[in-house]
Amino acid sequence: MKKKSRLDEILSIPDEVSTNIPKITVLGFEKVLIENHKGILEYQDFFVRLNTYIGIININGFNLKLDDMTKDDLMVTGKIDSIDFENIMGDENEEE
Amino acid sequence: MQFKIFINYMQGFVDIVVEGFYIERFMNICANQQIFLWNVKKEKETLLYARVGIKDFKRLRYICKKTDCKVKICRKIGIPFILNRYKKRKIFVGLLVILILLVISLSNFVWNIEVTGNNTIPTEEILSIVNSNGSLIGKMKGKIDTKQIINQLRLQRDDLAWVGIELQGTNMLIKVEEADLKPEVIDESEYCNIVAKKPGMVLKISAQNGTPLVNQYDIVKEGDILIGGWIEGKYTGTRYVHAQGDVQAKVWYTNKQKVLLKEIKKEETGEIENKYSVKINNFQINLYKTLSKFENYDTIEKNKKMKIFSNFYLPIELITYTNKEYKNYEVTYTLEEAKNIGISRAEVELQKEIEDVKNVVDKHVNVYENPEYVEVEVTYEVQEGIGTKEKVVF
Repeated sequence: MKKKSRLDEILSIPDEVSTNIPKITVLGFEKVLIENHKGILEYQDFFVRLNTYIGIININGFNLKLDDMTKDDLMVTGKIDSIDFENIMGDENEEE
Repeated sequence: MQFKIFINYMQGFVDIVVEGFYIERFMNICANQQIFLWNVKKEKETLLYARVGIKDFKRLRYICKKTDCKVKICRKIGIPFILNRYKKRKIFVGLLVILILLVISLSNFVWNIEVTGNNTIPTEEILSIVNSNGSLIGKMKGKIDTKQIINQLRLQRDDLAWVGIELQGTNMLIKVEEADLKPEVIDESEYCNIVAKKPGMVLKISAQNGTPLVNQYDIVKEGDILIGGWIEGKYTGTRYVHAQGDVQAKVWYTNKQKVLLKEIKKEETGEIENKYSVKINNFQINLYKTLSKFENYDTIEKNKKMKIFSNFYLPIELITYTNKEYKNYEVTYTLEEAKNIGISRAEVELQKEIEDVKNVVDKHVNVYENPEYVEVEVTYEVQEGIGTKEKVVF
């Protein structure tokens, strides 16, 4: 995971650019834009599981479509029921 | 993103179906290799619908092998596929390109010259000046120096007040404003006589300045001095002045008409025959046999310039000849009828000559009868001013 440097802090560059933390934008109930993801773990009509640098994002819903897929960005559209996270980082920190 | 999709449309894209068990892996590899997938939708467990650009599609094959997927094309969308359809029609596309190039290149030339605004100056005269350095028709628009043409026109003609040249499409519009030739104004300080401009009989002469040289009821010829531009005094001798005054005179206008008692008249029968010919530049092609089927006919010629759009004239003219058949038949007039016809014809002619019909004082009609024809002479007596100023020449 990329760390935030001093320079980034001085220039106040957004976190999603300077680090690998995913940015999740939810627009209404039908659109979710996830930036900085690491890949798709599972994709079904009703369930999308995405890997990120700090954990896993699960999106539940119906008729889920992946609209604009690039290396870092992903747009999920469709009827979205819930979004939940599985935090890996927190567990690791606790272990340490 | 919308813009990206539009560019993809320009480059062409395909709808694909991917079938396999490791579709997530397939998608991750695509993302990693920067293959842009959009409108991704999964159906059932193993089917994936997606859209991908043409160039990226070729790279998909390798990924498919890796992930054990099958890729099928559903639909081809985009401009490259549309163009591909015309690949077989090479001549059609080639001619289309040639046509477009031809229209573009031909529109760089002037094909028609129009002159507007001239009432008294004949169009041909203006055109001959314009074309004096070789014909402008068929010349490149860029090579025409409008300023030089305007200067040429203004230099060669005094009666043009303003000339404007506009290039509209393949049309050259020459707009002309005519100037009245300025009358020769004689300065107040200069000496002048008043002379007769028409022959007539003097009725009234009132000299405000100068010496009247004619009396009432004198018959004068054209050019006679009516009021002399000098004053003779007993003591001062002869002094030259600027003559002023009004001279009213009776002027006679006559017109003779000969009316035949047996006259041949034309009447149209209503039969019409159309003939066409095509004129390309100056080369005329007749599309008819030369002889008409009528015995007596009038020919009316009509020119039509071919044009594309509203002002793109081509050097092609379509000429229509309309032959109207007529029949001759004889009419016999009685003496009285012939006289009336003669008088009315003469009156029409006279009224063209006389400036103001109100000034007509008297009318005389003389009729000379002959066995074959009647000759009518109509004389109008008109009262009008006949004096004009003329410089004294010493």
